[in-house]
Amino acid sequence: MINLNCKIETPKNIDELLKLLAVENFNSKILAGGTDLIVGKIQGSKRFVDTELLIDINKIEELHKIDLIDDKIIIGASTTFSEIENNKIINEHLPLLKKAVSKIGSLQIRNRATIAGNFVNNAPCADSVPPLLVYNAELELISFGNKRTISLENFLEAPYKTQLQKSELVSKIIIPVPDKNIIGDFYKLGRRRAVAISRITLAVLCRIENNSFDDIRIASGAVTPIGKRFYEIENFTREKRINNDLLINLSQMLGEEILKITGLRWSSAYKLPVVQQMFYQLLNNIVIKK
Amino acid sequence: MKIKFYLNKKEIEIEVDPTIRLIDLLREKLNLTGTKEGCSIGECGACTVIVDGKAINSCLMLAYQVDGCNVITIEGISEDGKLHPLQENFLKTGAIQCGFCTPGMIMSAYALLLENPNPTEEEIKDAIAGNLCRCTGYKQIIDAIEVSAKELKG
Repeated sequence: MINLNCKIETPKNIDELLKLLAVENFNSKILAGGTDLIVGKIQGSKRFVDTELLIDINKIEELHKIDLIDDKIIIGASTTFSEIENNKIINEHLPLLKKAVSKIGSLQIRNRATIAGNFVNNAPCADSVPPLLVYNAELELISFGNKRTISLENFLEAPYKTQLQKSELVSKIIIPVPDKNIIGDFYKLGRRRAVAISRITLAVLCRIENNSFDDIRIASGAVTPIGKRFYEIENFTREKRINNDLLINLSQMLGEEILKITGLRWSSAYKLPVVQQMFYQLLNNIVIKK
Repeated sequence: MKIKFYLNKKEIEIEVDPTIRLIDLLREKLNLTGTKEGCSIGECGACTVIVDGKAINSCLMLAYQVDGCNVITIEGISEDGKLHPLQENFLKTGAIQCGFCTPGMIMSAYALLLENPNPTEEEIKDAIAGNLCRCTGYKQIIDAIEVSAKELKG
């Protein structure tokens, strides 16, 4: 019989939770879906080897819901991927997020794994990150007596490193409702279609007016050290007339930019043409649909 | 920690160590060894059980987390000694060879048919994508689920 070999607390509300997180001399971790943490703890992963206390947040309903309030969509941190995939508000306003989470792991994993758990350790392959970046997601971080809001982009500091402090919890993901004319797509490449760690993820959102890109947002995951927006390419693209040459040019630019970030690797010869081709196809499909 | 939950339609109350997994509670404390442990990391699906209508990996859930839930395992789907149509059809269509993946595979199919009594082949594939079978090649498994769906609709 496997034993996690640590203490477990199950706070019933935010107040109890924040008091537990505020205890400084305890090395604690938040337990939500557990699909990463339980495996990591059992396998003796470095990330959890010193964890003495698991704080299970599953009983806190406030952290487990999706709301549309004014012009913002609020996703509770412990909302599962299955709940996001099947939620009407998400389906209507955030189709890229729906597409991304529906490709994570297997149904059994999606029924347990949570949205904040996906990015809180800042693994480069977190599939929810590129869509959340193009939707300009912000996070609410709470700690005892404190609350702050930070953009996801600033939260994700470096591979496996975030701005989260030891006493803090990601409580909500806040996403401005996108303009009705914004369209886009998400692409994932893994070694198989399910239960696969992403090798490449791309998310594109844009608004096309008078055959030019009025607005465009581009993000990648897995192929860059952390999920990343490409502001230089976005700025270059704005207000350019759309034609095939522009789409080819943008795809080449994206490949060059990624190469600049990652340096030449053994996998570059395989991945770069795929990134460029898939980015071209994403853009082309969006333009044709429009 | 004392927990109370429904297991295969019967309410049980049991004292559990909060640091053990659901699969260990089922197999080692409750002797429900129909649920198998394969990879222990949520990739093979052999340990699939149903919690509140959803298929989950029992190697990735802690035992105390089923407090207040409704849990169904492979032992809970036959009635009065009669196999469930999914079990019958797995036998009939040759969807079983070594049988190790079968309980998990059937529980994933059972959860699918609870939510969607009329699944397409793609929906079946999606529902069992987290269940590995190294013997059958999946075709017979998909056939068994399709035939069962038709029978259950009556």
